[in-house]
Amino acid sequence: MAMADIYQNNYMSMAPTERRFEPYAFNGGNILAVAGEDFAIVASDTRLSQGFMIHSRDHPKAVQLSSSTVLAQSGFEGDITTLKKHVKIRIDMYEHNHGKKASTSAIASMISKMLYYKRFFPYYVYNIVAGLDDVGKGCVFSYDPVGSYEREQYRAAGAANELLQPLLDNQIGHKNMEGDFLPLSKEKALQLCIDCFISAAERDITTGDCVFLHVIDKDGIATKEFPLRRD
Amino acid sequence: MFMTRSEYDRGVNTFSPEGRIFQVEYAIEAIKLGSTAMGIQTSEGVVLAVEKRITSPLIEPASIEKIFEIDRHVGCAMSGLIADSKTMIDKARVEAQNHWFTYDERMNVESITKSVSNLALQFGEEDSEPGAMSRPFGVALLFAGYDEKGPQLFHLDPSGTFVNCLAKAIGSASEGAQTSLEEQYHKSMTLKEATKCVLGILKQVMEEKLTATNVEVASVTKEENYHMFSKAEIEEYMKDL
Amino acid sequence: MSIMSYNGGAAIAMKGKNCVAIASDLRFGIQAQTVGMDFEKVFPMSDRLYLGLTGLATDVQTVVQKLAFQLKLYELRENRPISPKTFLSVVSNVLYEKRFGPYFIEPVIAGLDPKTSEPFIASCDLIGCPMEPEDFVVTGTCAVQMYGMCEALWQPDMEPDQLFECVSQALLNSVDRDAGSGWGAVVHIVEADKVTTRRLKARMD
Repeated sequence: MAMADIYQNNYMSMAPTERRFEPYAFNGGNILAVAGEDFAIVASDTRLSQGFMIHSRDHPKAVQLSSSTVLAQSGFEGDITTLKKHVKIRIDMYEHNHGKKASTSAIASMISKMLYYKRFFPYYVYNIVAGLDDVGKGCVFSYDPVGSYEREQYRAAGAANELLQPLLDNQIGHKNMEGDFLPLSKEKALQLCIDCFISAAERDITTGDCVFLHVIDKDGIATKEFPLRRD
Repeated sequence: MFMTRSEYDRGVNTFSPEGRIFQVEYAIEAIKLGSTAMGIQTSEGVVLAVEKRITSPLIEPASIEKIFEIDRHVGCAMSGLIADSKTMIDKARVEAQNHWFTYDERMNVESITKSVSNLALQFGEEDSEPGAMSRPFGVALLFAGYDEKGPQLFHLDPSGTFVNCLAKAIGSASEGAQTSLEEQYHKSMTLKEATKCVLGILKQVMEEKLTATNVEVASVTKEENYHMFSKAEIEEYMKDL
Repeated sequence: MSIMSYNGGAAIAMKGKNCVAIASDLRFGIQAQTVGMDFEKVFPMSDRLYLGLTGLATDVQTVVQKLAFQLKLYELRENRPISPKTFLSVVSNVLYEKRFGPYFIEPVIAGLDPKTSEPFIASCDLIGCPMEPEDFVVTGTCAVQMYGMCEALWQPDMEPDQLFECVSQALLNSVDRDAGSGWGAVVHIVEADKVTTRRLKARMD
């Protein structure tokens, strides 16, 4: 490829060599969140990659923001780091200024605005906020990179979102199925999250190594790990 | 520049040797020239009442406003320089809306009061920011609201100090009114009783005769949010006085 | 926009125990505009052999006719039904003939061997590179979604009923997340003694 470039640019044609600033990269990986009646689960893989290069096999994509809120992010790692820092600072400031814990919905709204303030040079980040709402129900908020957000029951984002979202539609949303369904249990949701990542790891090269699970309920946030294929 | 001892009260940012900032204290004194305003916090909600001084029959009473809506869940009564209050009310409204915009929730009454209190000491003489005040504000405010902590009443004075109160009176007759409040207030007061109580005290302390036009009453409750009493509603209460 | 997604559409084939399934959606569109709701993309080529084609609709029709022609010649010349594996070679060669000006289609093949009734599925890219996996093949504008569904739903040795449910759920939930395909679906379950064809009730948007 490099030889071809030299050949084309300097030998065949006299076209000037272009150089440009590429402000964004894509570091792969997948994030997923599911809300139950009184719990929420956030799952994310731990691979950090760029193109065919695996930078890390142990890089969590989800972070705990409060005792009942978790933020999962995928996209460009540089923007992820910066946005995450700003979000944490804003939550600390909120707690100092108002003398109370920031609720999941307040954090969700705030992140939407933080993203929109960069409307014309966006953070290349797909965010999912999950946790418990003001009345203790599970909640999931999903975003686009410029801050449009929505409360949902389940959402997959990142490199393999297209593989996982229809599966969640079917298994949690009960789409294209008839009959009555039991409310989603924590055990089923947990197993489904793992199955999703096993599937994603089969077909998406940026997903793999390990899936990290955050289970948020009234007792706090528990974490679990499950190995994935490493190729 | 030469300054005599007695001139410590000229500079707004100069402590006296006794450790006082006279201009701020004078500003607090200025409140005592203002019309009387009162608030009571009950378990059902908060009530605010203010006397309106209608100095001439040629004044349109409705154009004198002393109780303002800050947000749907917070009201504010003022006493002192009306013009100064406009800046602070504006700040409170902007902060409340900004909080709602950013966090998708209503701002706590304490936080609103705190944000306004930050304005109180932003004054100075030279080299201060453009638009900043050159003297302290000459207003005291009573913030009444309903938030996640329940009914809330806050008093803010020109020094920027704010206190959570169960009942508070400010303005020219505040001393007498406060004494009456202390006598009459009890924890199990209903909002109706509180409204009657503030109107009764106003009736006692006002120089003019209390009418439905020379008083403003507003309440904040969980159900109704901020509610400014109509003339008819005030008259209804005045019947029993 | 790629010419491969100009008309939209999806097709899928799956292997079961002594049976295969092949299915497609019914949408025919021109970019975002839906024009037809009854455009089957699965074609019976012989007794137990089915071909699914997605991509540019005009090429879909051309290639089906071209392959039907080739198939008839084969059957006349050989006087026996074609095996799915041989048919895959035909498809592959027909596509590779146009290596530098390809038909903008991607086929899937599903069938039972005429002699052994051995299940067979395969797919090609648009210039005829063949692939014969053990489990399922997908093609169309929502291929990625179907990969996700199939990876989770498919299991070895499914009975015909089970296979029908699996392929239907995989297809329907995938097309529901793709604006380029949907508007109903058709499923064929191919067994040694019978072929069952069903139209699926789906969301029409």
